[in-house]
Amino acid sequence: MIDPDLYDKARDHIAHAGFSPEVQTKIALTLCAAKAGNQAFHNAVQWLPNLGVVQQFMISQAARELEAINLLTRTTQWSARPNLAMTALRTTAPLTLAWTQIMMPPGPLFNPPAIYQGLSLGHAQLARLRLLPLIPEDANPFNPFVVALQRIEQDNGRMLQTQIRLLKRMGENIPLDAREQMLERDQQVVDQVFSEFMSWLVEP
Amino acid sequence: MPLLRTSHQQIHYELIGDPDLPVITFLNGLTQNARLWTAYADHFVPRGYRVLAYDMLGQGRSSKPVIDIPLASHAELLDQLLTHLQIEKTHLASISFGGTIALDFAIRFGHRLHSLVVMSSFAELTPQLELLGAVMLEGLTDVGLPYLQSMLYPMNMSSDWIAANRERIPAMKRAGYISNDGYAMQNLMESFAAFKPLTADLDRIKVPTLILNGEFDFFTPRACHEVIRRNIANSRLVIMPRAYHAFTLEMPALTLRQLEVFLNQIDEGIWQGDQSVWLANDDPKIAEAWLPIHGDWMRAAQPATPMTDSTKPASRRKPTPRKKIP
Repeated sequence: MIDPDLYDKARDHIAHAGFSPEVQTKIALTLCAAKAGNQAFHNAVQWLPNLGVVQQFMISQAARELEAINLLTRTTQWSARPNLAMTALRTTAPLTLAWTQIMMPPGPLFNPPAIYQGLSLGHAQLARLRLLPLIPEDANPFNPFVVALQRIEQDNGRMLQTQIRLLKRMGENIPLDAREQMLERDQQVVDQVFSEFMSWLVEP
Repeated sequence: MPLLRTSHQQIHYELIGDPDLPVITFLNGLTQNARLWTAYADHFVPRGYRVLAYDMLGQGRSSKPVIDIPLASHAELLDQLLTHLQIEKTHLASISFGGTIALDFAIRFGHRLHSLVVMSSFAELTPQLELLGAVMLEGLTDVGLPYLQSMLYPMNMSSDWIAANRERIPAMKRAGYISNDGYAMQNLMESFAAFKPLTADLDRIKVPTLILNGEFDFFTPRACHEVIRRNIANSRLVIMPRAYHAFTLEMPALTLRQLEVFLNQIDEGIWQGDQSVWLANDDPKIAEAWLPIHGDWMRAAQPATPMTDSTKPASRRKPTPRKKIP
């Protein structure tokens, strides 16, 4: 579990500084990096043979992640500071590395174990990257960036349902304990990234 | 917070008090965590008890399985936790979801209990409870965790409490949103798909059992507690006056008093498990902790006994029709 103090400090920082271009850029870069990994994964596996009804879910997940990235990039008031992009790359590196391993040739389309790993990491991201607790109570509810964050979080909850169903239904050849361990490991990776992101968020 | 590691899961617990003292273990409700029992530990530890509280699987800082949390595993994990902590026997106090787990534990691991307290809970899903559970799950999956949280406040707390705490509720919801995971809660709720009623096995519970039910609890109403009372011979049902479902949070002082009275009765050897029904006394001017209840405790409104003609209140007479003057 992520230290609740980090959420409080990040929210207090935003309450004080507002949704400045720097704050918006940090949030957008981190979320987009995570979502790009999940989007690429779903994009890759949606043409897996014999998926049946699951194919529809895979295509839908890929589209929703793309939509979230689009929404965020269009509503973000971007900072011109390039060092933010560099720090975001470093902060999200564990996720990038995890997605790279899943997508490594021959790719999940030809590597069945990677499919379950991708679903697991995607679940961890949708479940644990939560921005709502960072929005100050008195934030302008009509601020497009705030609206986008709320919309994305609500969509994450819906996407999570698909992810849960797929995780319960697929990977039956992997022992249950091993699957749960994989899921817990991925949650720890995501928790670590999100904790670092919140610590970075409060930096000037 | 200390940790029990099993083969692939971890359970976070808090154990406070001197090692040789009797232990009270608290089991959380669905959306709760171990920290909500801090006030109870603060009360009982200076009074000569050790207090154990922990996050069950899917809660707080413990592991949150994604694929499956079999309902039966909670009682088995409690057994493991007690063994890990070298606690041979414990008093077990529980609320709501935790109450059902406690009943299961008492049935299968009764040898590890001194006594049992079941609050705002159930041994079987009444049709009403089943549908309420389905609606809660639907809210969680279709709308999200914040919706379920919003739904639970008016279900669990009284209007007085909500009016007094309205300003604090957003902060409480936010804290709950941070510490809970929707998918884990969903898993806990979906585990009831395989729930088999415990009613037929309740008679295997032999330890002193105190059942506490909020007078106005419409989530787990009297009928749920009546099933438990009727089937556990060594039990008493105490109704918490004007209380709703989450009275451990709303009325901690009154709840602590009931637990203390119960534990003292056991210690002094004067506990009588006779399946009787009582009303918790919330009037500090009256010494008795539990007051007898006359009439049908299943009813919310008590019908008065029929009165004789002389004690009947005067009623308006039917006007006699005037005779027509020929």
